[in-house]
Amino acid sequence: MEKKNIYWKGFEELNKESEIVKSLEQNEFVEKLPVGNEGENKNHNRRDFLKYAGFSTAAAAVVGCEGPVIKSVPYVVQPEQIIPGIANYYATTIADGYDFSSILVKTKAGRPIFIKGNKDAKSMNCTNARINASVLSMYDVFRLQGPKLSGENISWKNFNSSVKADLSRLLSENKKVVLLTQSFASPTTEKIINNFIQKYSNIQHVVYDAVSNSSALDAFENSYGKRALADYDFSLSNTIISIDADFMNDWQGGNYSSGWSKNRVPNEDNNFTMSYHLQFESNMTLSGANADNRVMARPHQLKQVLQSIYFSLRNQKYNGPSLGSYLDRYVKLAVESIKKSGNKAVVISGLDDVDSQEIVLMINELINSDAFNIKSPKLIFQGSDKDILNTIKELKSGKISGLITAGINPSYTLPNSDEFSQLLNKLEFSLCFSMKEDETAQNSKYIAATPHYLESWGDYEFKSGNYYLSQPTIKPLFDTNQFQDVLLDLIDSQNSFYDEIKNNWRTNILKGKTWGKSLQDGYYYSYDNISLNRIKSNLTFSNSPSSNDDTLDLILYTKTGLGDGQQSSNPWLQEFPDPITRVTWDNYLTISYEDAERLDLKNYNVSNGALNGSYVNLSNENHSLKVPVIIQPGQTPGTVGLSLGYGKTQAMSEEMNVGVNAYRFYDDFKRVHKVKLTKAEGDHEFACIQLHNTMMGRDEIIKETSLKEFVEEDKSVWNPTVMVSKNHIETMVTSKEVDIWREFDRSTGHHFNLSIDLNKCNGCGACVIACHAENNVPVVGKEEVRKSRDMHWIRIDRYYSSQDTIRGDVKAKDETSGYREYRSTQTNLEKASANPQVVFQPVSCMHCNHAPCETVCPVAATSHGREGQNQMAYNRCVGTRYCANNCPYKVRRFNWFQYSENDEFDYNMNNPLGKMAINPDVNVRSRGVMEKCSLCIQMTQKVKLDAKKEGRRVRDGEFKTACSESCDDNAMVFGDINDKESEILRVKDGDRTYRVLESIGTKPNVIYQVKIRNSKKI
Amino acid sequence: MSSHYEAPIRKPLVLGDKSYGDISNDIARPVETPPNIDWWIAFSIAMAAFLWGLGCMAYTLGTGIGTWGLNKTVGWAWDITNFVWWVGIGHAGTLISAVLLLFRQKWRMGINRSAEAMTIFSVIQAGLFPIIHMGRPWLAYWMFPIPNQFGSLWVNFNSPLLWDVFAISTYLTVSLVFWWTGLLPDFAMIRDRAVKPFQKKIYSLISFGWSGRAKDWQRFEEVSLVLAGLATPLVLSVHTIVSFDFATSVIPGWHTTIFPPYFVAGAIFSGFAMVQTLLIIMRKVSRLESYITLQHIEMMNIVIMITGSIVGCAYITELFIAWYSGVEYEQYAFLNRATGPYWWAYFLMMSCNVVSPQIMWIKKIRTNIIWSFVISIVVNVGMWFERFVIIVTSLHRDYLPSSWTMFSPTFIDIGIFIGTIGFFFVLFLLYARSFPVVAQAEIKTILKSSGENYKKIRDK
Repeated sequence: MEKKNIYWKGFEELNKESEIVKSLEQNEFVEKLPVGNEGENKNHNRRDFLKYAGFSTAAAAVVGCEGPVIKSVPYVVQPEQIIPGIANYYATTIADGYDFSSILVKTKAGRPIFIKGNKDAKSMNCTNARINASVLSMYDVFRLQGPKLSGENISWKNFNSSVKADLSRLLSENKKVVLLTQSFASPTTEKIINNFIQKYSNIQHVVYDAVSNSSALDAFENSYGKRALADYDFSLSNTIISIDADFMNDWQGGNYSSGWSKNRVPNEDNNFTMSYHLQFESNMTLSGANADNRVMARPHQLKQVLQSIYFSLRNQKYNGPSLGSYLDRYVKLAVESIKKSGNKAVVISGLDDVDSQEIVLMINELINSDAFNIKSPKLIFQGSDKDILNTIKELKSGKISGLITAGINPSYTLPNSDEFSQLLNKLEFSLCFSMKEDETAQNSKYIAATPHYLESWGDYEFKSGNYYLSQPTIKPLFDTNQFQDVLLDLIDSQNSFYDEIKNNWRTNILKGKTWGKSLQDGYYYSYDNISLNRIKSNLTFSNSPSSNDDTLDLILYTKTGLGDGQQSSNPWLQEFPDPITRVTWDNYLTISYEDAERLDLKNYNVSNGALNGSYVNLSNENHSLKVPVIIQPGQTPGTVGLSLGYGKTQAMSEEMNVGVNAYRFYDDFKRVHKVKLTKAEGDHEFACIQLHNTMMGRDEIIKETSLKEFVEEDKSVWNPTVMVSKNHIETMVTSKEVDIWREFDRSTGHHFNLSIDLNKCNGCGACVIACHAENNVPVVGKEEVRKSRDMHWIRIDRYYSSQDTIRGDVKAKDETSGYREYRSTQTNLEKASANPQVVFQPVSCMHCNHAPCETVCPVAATSHGREGQNQMAYNRCVGTRYCANNCPYKVRRFNWFQYSENDEFDYNMNNPLGKMAINPDVNVRSRGVMEKCSLCIQMTQKVKLDAKKEGRRVRDGEFKTACSESCDDNAMVFGDINDKESEILRVKDGDRTYRVLESIGTKPNVIYQVKIRNSKKI
Repeated sequence: MSSHYEAPIRKPLVLGDKSYGDISNDIARPVETPPNIDWWIAFSIAMAAFLWGLGCMAYTLGTGIGTWGLNKTVGWAWDITNFVWWVGIGHAGTLISAVLLLFRQKWRMGINRSAEAMTIFSVIQAGLFPIIHMGRPWLAYWMFPIPNQFGSLWVNFNSPLLWDVFAISTYLTVSLVFWWTGLLPDFAMIRDRAVKPFQKKIYSLISFGWSGRAKDWQRFEEVSLVLAGLATPLVLSVHTIVSFDFATSVIPGWHTTIFPPYFVAGAIFSGFAMVQTLLIIMRKVSRLESYITLQHIEMMNIVIMITGSIVGCAYITELFIAWYSGVEYEQYAFLNRATGPYWWAYFLMMSCNVVSPQIMWIKKIRTNIIWSFVISIVVNVGMWFERFVIIVTSLHRDYLPSSWTMFSPTFIDIGIFIGTIGFFFVLFLLYARSFPVVAQAEIKTILKSSGENYKKIRDK
């Protein structure tokens, strides 16, 4: 029983009749407390006052101390697929009208953060710098967040009904509307467009490629009756004759370098042979830089070279103008090589006229080239110059009343874009499908906000019978709708684009493979080759007139970084150094020494080393531009090069607005134009990350040999062990005698090595961007790059020879004697040759076993890992920079400023959207801290943990770094040398292995393979 | 022992008709009289420069090292150049007071006080740079082996930068103690003369209760000798260790075994030049011509000439070894030094440090005050460029030509350097008005043997 204690409360209790006692039996208080709803009690009392005062003080305090607001939304229901910390991969496809590839997208917590090639796909699976960087373009703050009508935001429902009303009216008035789109190469999109045109019969579909492939397409169509491009597999050829085709870059859609690299390493399997690559060209291109022999010729000569090769192969006499002895010799060499190789030879060309392209097709047919493939031609480009020129003519004449654009930006990419914009502005109806409010969108009435390709569905047929799928890897970030979905809505279809793709694939494409599996794989191959027969057998041999003295040939090209310019607001790509010039944040006119001297144009270094260049006025009868010049070794005298894709101004931040718009000169979509140059006032400030272009004859940086020497001579001739002198006795650098360190036992556990094959690396820079994405490398902007403060963890050094060959440089240096000669030789070696040999060398942290950086750090912030890595403890670093000074390879990068969340560096790491691309596995470094390559320790750790969880050993090939993973050419091999079965061990023990600057005794864990040149002397 | 007979052919070290009282009056005068307008002008300029430098340092601290002209290839430039320059200057003081004491060079007595003051003030300037050149200077205490709660973190005893920390802090401590010990009788003298109670209080505090008893003097002599013995190896060790920053690295132009003696000689060279600069002004301004005589200036000029020649020898040895080694990187590093884009810095270094002191062979010039002053400035400029040449020209073109670049200072770099010069002069000017600038107690011990008037009396 509970005993109830009664406590005496006061005298009032003695009075049994008391009201107070009675009321207290029922209530807690005697009187009703003055609390209640407003209105009941108007008199605010002390309690209210305290309440309000307390609340407002608290509110003021909360507002006053604005803490960092971190917007993170927890899942209400945990999605099944998303496990925090575990990445998901989706196979999808990029086809933005310029880049085409099957890719794998890594997503972390639902955010796509990294792109790599889909290696399961058998073709079109390569990634380049632009594709790797495209993930960041999705997180662009300048993206459209919803549809717009005349500049006002509008809902999709109203947008569609308004467009529908306009289109119906135009249809009833029978006014012509043009649907101007990129090349989609998409079977389902094509179907939807056809249905759309069926409904709106006044609409004409025109395909427009910003960078035209029309002549090659026309040539193929003329020859075989199908609008396509021939495909080439360079792994099947041992003689590659390229006439101005930059096939390692973007030529005809790219994806060719991996085939090229397969035939570049002589070994037991291929009987110690490698392909021979001869390049005739005007600009210095990536392909030319990697060629075994590179021949400079002007565009009209290139055409003659091609014709001359054709006639020689047919054993006929070439009747064109004389080529001169220099070119004749190389034509002879080309013909001999082709004849020797037979069907293992291939001839390709980037010449921009139908005749030449027809000749190329004919030559490859003639020699029955294995590499040449018309059974499964490429369908990625469909644009026709004639059609687009016609459309513009009709626009001008007022025949067209409406224009729908999708995936293109003609107000930027057309040569007469200003005129086009005015016409577009005046049109009765204009609808632009765009991700951004770009030049075209700004002049259109309707702007349909489209999602990024990583948020989209899609299907593609890149090559006949080779189908690819793309799927969203993230829920659309904004209120966007795909072009195809809008079209479906406009034709009152109940289906979404996804339904259409699925139906189309199930009924028309898939045979024996399920939809689900195809979606998971990202591709489907039908292996139904088409058979094309030659329908035209006569060739025309036209000649371009040679220039008179004061005009130059302007050759427009696309840069590895920006391509056609659609990603020009991508900070990674802007800061990406061009593989050839190594200039970032700019385009420029490349000019030969000879012409630069004639016009008094200069490149010079200012006091902090930064590069400046003269300006020129570039003009022809239609246009003129003020352009800075870069004096380019290997540029053919009489020609100048200028890259497209720069000078875009709209829908991007001020910082990205760099370079000049070379599309201004892209009249008639021809790459080559006659121009005049005059020197202009002032100097341009470049942000070039390599200020010294030659190797100064140093032979410990890049080792080279010739194929002949490699095959015939012993390793000790072409890759001798480095000797150092100890007590005047020549001792091998690998000997314990010359080692001042006590060696750890490295035989247990993993020991990572990265091998870089200089024969396979073509300098494309895909690894640079992959590293950017994986390791949260900051973008520092043009001004900082100009101050030599680029932050790239991996860079691709490019060296020109100063003599005719790189080995010539070494010889010139070795053969000097005496101070005078030494000094003059060294001075001469600083200048690159007019047509130099070029080498590329990717350089990241070498992870030296005897690292000079480790001993000098006063706080031991950088130390050696158990697995061979040289590690950086960012938290411990106080920033003395001693380690960077003492690094012989100069790979350490210092955070001179706070690069993230700093308005002075307003790039991707300064806005919440851009920060979504940050890899959560790698921390973002603060200012004052040294950083550098970690050999992607977060990736190797994950592999180890996965294996441990599964209770197995790590399999060979599992260990990867971002750079090795992104290398389509397999130039980089990464792995554990303690695994006796591993490929890296096999590579490391090979004869070609050497280490950079081995004589210093740093014993790097990044090793290189001697470059072998198959150059032929004539 | 200090008042022994001195040969009459020896020049007197104290000029004029000085009595013990005159010496006290002369030395105490700057402390006891208010400063003149010249002092105020000099002090204002120094203070302005100091504040300007302080502003630049604050800006660096707030924004980042990116405000300097450094880059990925040249990670040190003006910061460490200034550091080594100031440390070098700091060498003369201890050399004069310790080494010359051990060698019984009595001429040191006129200059040792100010030389030591200069040492301490310049080591303070030097000590600033290792701290502010850090990316995260607020963590500078991590450079000390302090037991901590960060786990088992400890400093890296392999790092020359850590050796620097010990070398410089030891040097500063020993120099300070040595200096102060010498100051005790002189402070006591000022204390005894002081009439204002506040002044008296302060000087009695800092004279540590000096009473002038025989026991005090005996201990004073012993401590001085012991400290001199301790400080002498430091003269050699500090700059040896500073040179290890470079010598132990792998960078061509840095990785050189000649560096320790070469740096020590250079340090004495620049230190004496700075003492010369300061004392030529001070003897005039504070009317100390009787104590800091032309003979002193000549002696210092001889030291400058000899150390300058040693340094010149080292420069040429470097060039010879670069050629003789047959190492291509080494050869290029020196070719680039002499003929590369920074040839002008090398030329300045060579002409200021090697050529200019050689004119001291001419007696007329080394006993000429204007010439001595000019040369002392030239030598200091040259020695600054020596460090700049070593640091920047070695770094800017090392092994891989792809990373080669240049360095150009920003106004922050320049501002901080000017700021330390300002700071140095602020300290020195304050010292000149509050400390006995000549070791008067020691001077008094030689007055009867080396004083001009006593010599005259004796010789008659």
